[in-house]
Amino acid sequence: MPEPVLKLERITKRFGGLTVLSSVDLQVDANQIVGLIGPNGAGKSTLFNVVTALYRPEEGIVFLDGKRITGAPPHRICRLGVARTFQLVRTYLTMTARENVMVAAVYGGGAMADAGRACDEALELVGLAASRDLITEHMTLSARRLLEMARALASRPRVILLDEPMAGLNASEIEEMIQVIRRARDERGLSVLWVEHKVDAIMRVCDRVVVLDHGVKISDGTPAETIVNPKVIEAYLGEPSS
Amino acid sequence: MTREKRIIGLSAIIVAALALLPFVPGAADSYLFFLLYLFFLYTIIGQAWNLVAGYTGQISLGQHAFFGLGAYTAALVWSRGLFGAEHVYYFDPLTLIASGLVAAAFALVIGFPLLSKLRGDYFALGTLGFGEIVRVAFVKGGSYTGGPFGIVLPSSLYESLRPHYWLGLGLAAGLTLLIFWIRRSSLGLALVAIRDDEMAASSNGVNVLKYKLVAFALGAFFTGMAGCLQAYYLFHVSPEGFLNLNWTLYPILIAVIGGSGTVLGPVIGALAVTVVFSYANIFFPELHPIFSGLAIILVMLFMPNGIMRLRFRGRA
Repeated sequence: MPEPVLKLERITKRFGGLTVLSSVDLQVDANQIVGLIGPNGAGKSTLFNVVTALYRPEEGIVFLDGKRITGAPPHRICRLGVARTFQLVRTYLTMTARENVMVAAVYGGGAMADAGRACDEALELVGLAASRDLITEHMTLSARRLLEMARALASRPRVILLDEPMAGLNASEIEEMIQVIRRARDERGLSVLWVEHKVDAIMRVCDRVVVLDHGVKISDGTPAETIVNPKVIEAYLGEPSS
Repeated sequence: MTREKRIIGLSAIIVAALALLPFVPGAADSYLFFLLYLFFLYTIIGQAWNLVAGYTGQISLGQHAFFGLGAYTAALVWSRGLFGAEHVYYFDPLTLIASGLVAAAFALVIGFPLLSKLRGDYFALGTLGFGEIVRVAFVKGGSYTGGPFGIVLPSSLYESLRPHYWLGLGLAAGLTLLIFWIRRSSLGLALVAIRDDEMAASSNGVNVLKYKLVAFALGAFFTGMAGCLQAYYLFHVSPEGFLNLNWTLYPILIAVIGGSGTVLGPVIGALAVTVVFSYANIFFPELHPIFSGLAIILVMLFMPNGIMRLRFRGRA
């Protein structure tokens, strides 16, 4: 069996007395889009921050292509092949779109000689090639979300972590983002771990869906399996009254 | 692009004209000549702060420490003859570079704990504390540092202000050119990324601590050399004259008035500050700080992003 691209083993993260993630196992296989859903406070963003080393887990190990990456600093995690986007968009506001992407192309771990090409290809893939010289401050929210996506792609990662890339987007922008995510997987052969509140989008696009509730993984399977899982229904709708 | 080329061409002509000015008979003895020297000195310290705060977003309030460390390095090396008794210390490249290197080394040593643990205002306060420590250390340094009186250098060597003028011009133009180059290099990309969003920068693969340290040390290097230059002018290095908080406030004023985070902003700011300070000093000698303060308030009220950014106003 091939090695999973990203593998989390028994990740536990506590803030003081509060356990935000308890012994979570998760894996993302090559070329897969895995959705990560769960009610507010389930620990989805915390899980991302553990993988990208913004937080250090109390227990557990993160593997990338079978190699342990826990303990490496955030910039190293990116260079090893884990790129991410942020729930609250974090673009470099004073830079042009192309400069934004260049940061990741130059420092993200890919070959320096290819940085310019990687940058332009990433802008092309997300459909921002025409806005490359626009100052980011003047871009719309959906364009900035796509820009973050381009930045992640330009670092030439193995896996991309998307933190609610649809938040605040309208219906047509959501469709556009879905196409971009699919293209990233199909054209670049990337794996994607995707946190989202728009459950319908997740169910349409993902190969597998993982559900977290109060820091515990309560479901892991295909979208079809997930929507009929009683634990998932309970987490979202509450316990059925008898 | 053509606009940029015009500015570069014009700047080169101005620098060349300034470089030739001392050859004009009598020029070196005028008050204007001294003001130009001051303008160069202000440009150096303003650009150094601009690199750290304007481009990298790290507000340093410890620049006076680097200025003083540079000056004291020159004074100590010179008065103790550390490079040998036969060595010529006055306008010696080795002494000048040593001044910069000592300041940069202190920046690295103090920057490592401060920049890895403190952000924003807290980093600023940390550098302020560092500046105080350096000042007190030199005041209490006993016979080695000359205590509160400082170190006196052989002023009989002074012939004219020309070497100060040229060195100041060279450092100011060199640093401005360096910042122009950094802005277009991958180093500049990292610095601005850190300023705009540190967390995004680190998750895009930028080693945030490393590049903050590079900027901080580079700024300290040039500030230290500026301190050495001023030591060659005053021949008396003291805590009062060099470890004074003014040497932190002036660069901030200069960069902010001119436009921090721009290549030419601090040059314009240095010019403005030199003119305002010296004219205020001539016409209202007693009220000079009040007048200067008022000028600064007015600039900030009507040009909050600095003089250089005026032309961006009205753009979407």
